[in-house]
Amino acid sequence: METQDLVLKPARTEPAKSTLPQPGRPVPSRAYPGALIVVEGTDGSGKSTQLYLLKRWLEIGGYRLHFTEWNSSPLVKSATRRGKQRRLLTPTTFSLLHAADFADRCERQIMPLLQGDYLVLADRYIYTAFARDTARGCSPRWLRNLYRFAPVPDITFYFRAPLDVAVNRILSGRPKLKYYEAGMDLGMSYDRAESFRLFQARILEEYDKMVETDNFVVLDGTMPVNKLQKQMRDIVASKIDLKRFAPRAEAAE
Amino acid sequence: MPDQEKEKPAPAVTTETPAPPIPSKPASPPEDPGQQYFFGEPLVGFDPSEITGSLIVIEGMDGSGRSTQITLLQEWLESEGFAVQTSGLRRSNLVGRDIDELLAKNAVTRLTLALMYATDFFDQVEHRILPALRSGTIVLADRYIFTLIGRGVVRGINRDYMSGLYAMALRPHLTFWLNVRPETAFGREFRKAQAISYWEAGRDMSLSHDLYWSFIRYQTMIKREFEVMAKKHNFIELDGEASVSTVNKLLRQRIAEQLGIRSTKYTPSSALSYLWR
Repeated sequence: METQDLVLKPARTEPAKSTLPQPGRPVPSRAYPGALIVVEGTDGSGKSTQLYLLKRWLEIGGYRLHFTEWNSSPLVKSATRRGKQRRLLTPTTFSLLHAADFADRCERQIMPLLQGDYLVLADRYIYTAFARDTARGCSPRWLRNLYRFAPVPDITFYFRAPLDVAVNRILSGRPKLKYYEAGMDLGMSYDRAESFRLFQARILEEYDKMVETDNFVVLDGTMPVNKLQKQMRDIVASKIDLKRFAPRAEAAE
Repeated sequence: MPDQEKEKPAPAVTTETPAPPIPSKPASPPEDPGQQYFFGEPLVGFDPSEITGSLIVIEGMDGSGRSTQITLLQEWLESEGFAVQTSGLRRSNLVGRDIDELLAKNAVTRLTLALMYATDFFDQVEHRILPALRSGTIVLADRYIFTLIGRGVVRGINRDYMSGLYAMALRPHLTFWLNVRPETAFGREFRKAQAISYWEAGRDMSLSHDLYWSFIRYQTMIKREFEVMAKKHNFIELDGEASVSTVNKLLRQRIAEQLGIRSTKYTPSSALSYLWR
């Protein structure tokens, strides 16, 4: 039959079993061909700038990549906005809504792209939820279960900056802190800047606890931007076989 | 029923090793006063000893008669002088309408949907159920975590994951299960809307191209999950195929016992008499 000629032979055969992490099952580390690079750190630690520069470097080199940001799924966005505006969120629902957002990006972008041989760059990942939500009082055990479906990153960069440096970077550039951003829901202080500082201190403490358990690559957020970027690129090049993500031959034509 | 039994079995509960990023947790949680009130962990910022009301859950598949019974029970309890609050799925101010939209667009994946339902559930717990229970109100819940866990599990989400998600759910004082055969439920649901919805028939699971068989297979899978949970969580199982008045009488007897109401006599007001068949 003619139609048979139209069926293209796939480049790779589909594995019998899904290679993706399933909620509640052990994560098959690197069972997919893609790679995942994550940046974490408190607000003002410089992580987004550094990830942007890393992304530019890889883009200019023509590598196959996808960039994803925390709290950006269009599906969940309206609910998050409403919850924040009307201050309806409690530590539990705040956490669940962000998990829903992450699940949506994970199931529809991150996982398919990792299976499709892409380099995925994530500005904030599940460790943001662990740090923030634990700082809000959520149970760490519950949180770890909540995010069990997330693929383990190949590299997690943790940008560490002293509390004062990070807080001052934010306070000088952003005149008005938002309610939840400042951790006002915790009732630690009526003063937004002071509440923000106390909240960030708690988050920093939670991040520091994960350095060992979650294999963070710690970088000094106070270093000059270009030197820090050089370090970051060197680490990426040494830990990830970038050739795999180089432009495919036919694309060059 | 040709290939009704061929469906994939729901994943078994396995005692697996936790995923690498999970820090070691105690084999059995230490004796925790929170366990008395919650399924696993206490809810942040809430003191369960303040509860003076009762939480009564009615579970059962689509078409099992839950809503009818809750409407009648509310009238009976109010006539007995109790304040009643109801709750149900997708009724939260936070995300109730967002879930409706997601379902309508049907562009949502199973995990995202499960987490949106969890958000909806806990928003109602914190803003509706707990305030009511603290003021001595009787909360009648039209479905609870069991439906939500069952729906996730039949879609291949691990059972431990789903129950872990609801670790901070309050333990109900009574949980009734209105058990009906999927075939009966199909007829009842069809009569309601002259149609069967995409989600009621579990069409996202690609079980069958026939709407009828899709519904039967999906609801049978859910029912099996309920059978597992019924034993574990002491459901009071009632025959949902009995008449409305018979089921209602059994519900009233058990609730009266729980609340210390002497008489279980009740006939619906004229406004509700149409339900009494």
